[in-house]
Amino acid sequence: MARLHPNGPRPTQITAGRIGLYLFLIVAVLFFTLPLYTMVVTSLKTMDEIRLGQIFSLPSKLDVSAWITAWSGACMGTVCVGIRSGFWNSLAITLPSVALSVFIGAVNGYALSLWRPRGASVLFGLLLAGGLIPYQIFLYPMVRAMATVGLYNSLAGIILVHVIFGLPLVTLLFRNYFVSVPEELCKAARVDGAGFWRIFFEIMLPIAVPMVVVVSMLQFTGIWNDFLLGLVFAGRDNLPMTVQLNNIVNTTMGERTYNVNMAATILTALVPLAIYFLSGRWFVRGIAAGAVKG
Amino acid sequence: MKRKTNLAATVALLPTWLVAVVVFIGTMGWSIHLSFTNSTIFPSSTYVGLAQYQKLFSSAKWLASLQNVVTFGILYVGGCLLLGFLLATALDRKIRFESVFRTIFLYPYAMSFVVTGLIWQWMLNPMLGIQASVRSLGWDSFVLDWVVNRDMAIYALVLAGVWQGAGLVMVIVLSGMRGIEAEQWKAARIDGIPVWRIYLSIILPQLGPALAAAGLLLAMGVIKTYDIVVAMTNGGPGNATEVPAKFIMDNLFGRQNLGLATAGATVLVLGVLMIVAPFRYAMHMRGKKRGAR
Amino acid sequence: MKTMIKLFLAGVAFAGVLTPAQAEDKPTIEILSSWTSGGEAAALDVFKTEFEKRGGVWKDSSIAGFGAADAAFQNRIVAGDPPGAKQGIIGLAAADFVGQGLFNAVDDIAKAGKWADVLPKSILDLSSFGGETYLAPTGAHGESWVFYSKDAFAKAGIADEPKSWKEFFADLDKLKAAGLVPVAWGGQPWQQSKVFNMILLSQVGIDGFLKIYVDKDKSEASIAGVRKTLDILRKLNGYVDEAAAGRNWNDATAMLITAKAGVQFMGDWAKGEFTVAGKVAGKDYGCMIVPESPGMVYIADSFYFPKTGTAATDKGQKLLAEIVMDPAVQVAFSQKKGSIPVRLDIDKTKLDACALKGAALMSAGAIVPDQAIVLTPQQVGALDDFVDEFWNNGSEDATAAAEKFFDVFE
Repeated sequence: MARLHPNGPRPTQITAGRIGLYLFLIVAVLFFTLPLYTMVVTSLKTMDEIRLGQIFSLPSKLDVSAWITAWSGACMGTVCVGIRSGFWNSLAITLPSVALSVFIGAVNGYALSLWRPRGASVLFGLLLAGGLIPYQIFLYPMVRAMATVGLYNSLAGIILVHVIFGLPLVTLLFRNYFVSVPEELCKAARVDGAGFWRIFFEIMLPIAVPMVVVVSMLQFTGIWNDFLLGLVFAGRDNLPMTVQLNNIVNTTMGERTYNVNMAATILTALVPLAIYFLSGRWFVRGIAAGAVKG
Repeated sequence: MKRKTNLAATVALLPTWLVAVVVFIGTMGWSIHLSFTNSTIFPSSTYVGLAQYQKLFSSAKWLASLQNVVTFGILYVGGCLLLGFLLATALDRKIRFESVFRTIFLYPYAMSFVVTGLIWQWMLNPMLGIQASVRSLGWDSFVLDWVVNRDMAIYALVLAGVWQGAGLVMVIVLSGMRGIEAEQWKAARIDGIPVWRIYLSIILPQLGPALAAAGLLLAMGVIKTYDIVVAMTNGGPGNATEVPAKFIMDNLFGRQNLGLATAGATVLVLGVLMIVAPFRYAMHMRGKKRGAR
Repeated sequence: MKTMIKLFLAGVAFAGVLTPAQAEDKPTIEILSSWTSGGEAAALDVFKTEFEKRGGVWKDSSIAGFGAADAAFQNRIVAGDPPGAKQGIIGLAAADFVGQGLFNAVDDIAKAGKWADVLPKSILDLSSFGGETYLAPTGAHGESWVFYSKDAFAKAGIADEPKSWKEFFADLDKLKAAGLVPVAWGGQPWQQSKVFNMILLSQVGIDGFLKIYVDKDKSEASIAGVRKTLDILRKLNGYVDEAAAGRNWNDATAMLITAKAGVQFMGDWAKGEFTVAGKVAGKDYGCMIVPESPGMVYIADSFYFPKTGTAATDKGQKLLAEIVMDPAVQVAFSQKKGSIPVRLDIDKTKLDACALKGAALMSAGAIVPDQAIVLTPQQVGALDDFVDEFWNNGSEDATAAAEKFFDVFE
């Protein structure tokens, strides 16, 4: 069925087409890596060198002090502990949020596509519309609601918020995945007396593993990089790394240390980057196995 | 038996129903209600009729933001799909170090725009970036000043957006290509059809669902476009890159104008619904057909 | 499964509720400021050190960026969980909160500390609502400054600071002829509005400025003043480089530090950037009030004190108000922040050359408030839009625009 390999035999001769192909790839690689290159060289320069405005030049002398400052010394207000303080908070927020939203989304997708209870398509339409609304507008009423149930400024609160805002996308992806599963599979299991949950855990979830991988990675990236929701809902003890990053990077009247900013940004992105590097294969395989279909 | 299991499905969907009704519909109702008031920082109950809407549609900023988001959306989604498809095709041609290339094309998706936006701002800035570098190599008439050029700034956003999103499309499309049976390839090659035509007329049509899914993922992001604008141009020069989400956010907090912000949100949501509803209807009809089969 | 999730959520929630309570009787304050970068954070630390020295418990919840800090603050008020103090500018920005009864007054502290005798009247007035003092002013920034690079001036053969706009533009021509960027322009709306205001003050004078912004006076004189301001602004447009749009002010300052550009219009916080680069005021760079200006536009920061309903915080608020206005603290804070103390009776020997000029204008009462102090946030936004549109739309007629200017106040 699905191939995990490229098409055709590997060409042995060098043709004009092959050269053009590699040329295209090299140009593309330049386009994609230039920003990262610029960030890395900037992070290794001193501010005096940065002020010269040669953004693509290599640093005259390697200076890693910006990295050390970003990780463990940069000030946010009167607290100077660097960006590391938000690292565990980000993990504590992201992991449960991803797990819960993926689980609920999978159940939703399964119920919406294979069981279609009354009102299923209305619900799906609502979710789709909800997913398209800029979430800034939800802030006020959500804050009120969270404060009323006592979840405002808490880890549980921010997790719940991420789960809620993740539902549309996750449900959409799982629904489209399960729609392509033969209905007979479900029917046969029902004839055998299996119920809703047994079919889900024993048949559907195992089939959907590639999708789970894909959705988890999308959700992980999105939640890890979220700034606004973390800022508003997490409370001062649970602020994620992106809020610390903002505190280092963003200023109106203060000085800007671009080298520290760059280092802090790369450090913040390390976890999602590591996941992409390490499990990039899984990602492609997950989608290859039909994870994303229209 | 059937009724009982259906009940389980209904129960399983209850939390989602709760979210959809309380959060999504509730917020919309709240927003619509406030858009008829003169609320500033906090909700007020002084009704002003359609005054906020009048103000909204006489605001050059809002009108520009609507136009911008359409331009940006079309070019961004189109650009990501095109580049993503080209990259996937290239990687499908038995390339050495495929996984290295793939990671390079995908990594921007993991980066937050808070600072990568600044980098793009530098690169497209005529005094600092690519233009200055090319000119220092001797090509004095070279111009790349998108970020600071009123007519081009929106394309600068598109460029940075495509940089971030094309990798995702590439992965989705590549996996779609890998899902196409090898026999089709053999048959086409035996018929002597050139490779580019195979991709264009045989492979591309089969990628419809994958491209549609990728397009939908990107489109969901377009309406919420905020970070990239704030990081790169902050809506300028002038109103050249103002977008609705930023307009709403600015009025919600900085300008303390809840009434205007909720009016903007209401218009935006109505717009979204007008786009989504026909799709949903079509899908619904297709679903019915499928059910009858 | 659902029950498990709920139990899990409830469990985590409980863990949050059960964090040990702070010592009840100590004055406690949680500060929400947007002072996070080097000099700002060091300045905030002056308050913290003193607060802790006097037996208080200090919690820092700083969020960088005005927008983000405001969003966090407003949402915490909505949730009924405001911080004990919020840094914000004096004037109308606080008015809505006070009007809704959300802030505690610090009138007793102000009376006991005789604030009325030591503050410029306008600053005290703008910190008070309905006759009661609500805000504790921390320091002021002068916003009528032209900074210039001495190297660049030397290169262009400019010996003296220009005294009039005519001389100023002649000097800009010299800078241009010397192959330099005459004006290092920060092309962001908020920066442009500040330049607009400093020019306006030079054209209409202190009374005229207050008439326009406080009385919203749309007389012939006001319109003519705005028109002359716009003319100067349009003229300046010819002296900026092509890459000015969207530029951060500190990048503009860097152009002066590296002597690529001649002058920059900015508030006195720009000194911080020079200092970090090892440049000294009066030696490497100069600071002058914009030509023909009879005074200085200022902006003053303060602390707001939201009602929290906890006794420890009420105590903390009073203590903080006292500390902020302490003469020694005012000087120490201003040095770190690069601002001017709002107290008029402080020891001026420690201020630098630029701050001295500012403090002199302040003592003389030759100051007018920044638009953010006297306009509502909505109007401030409208002013930003107005100036930005005029600056970027080269074809707009100044006379027509001057008429349109007054729509900002609607």
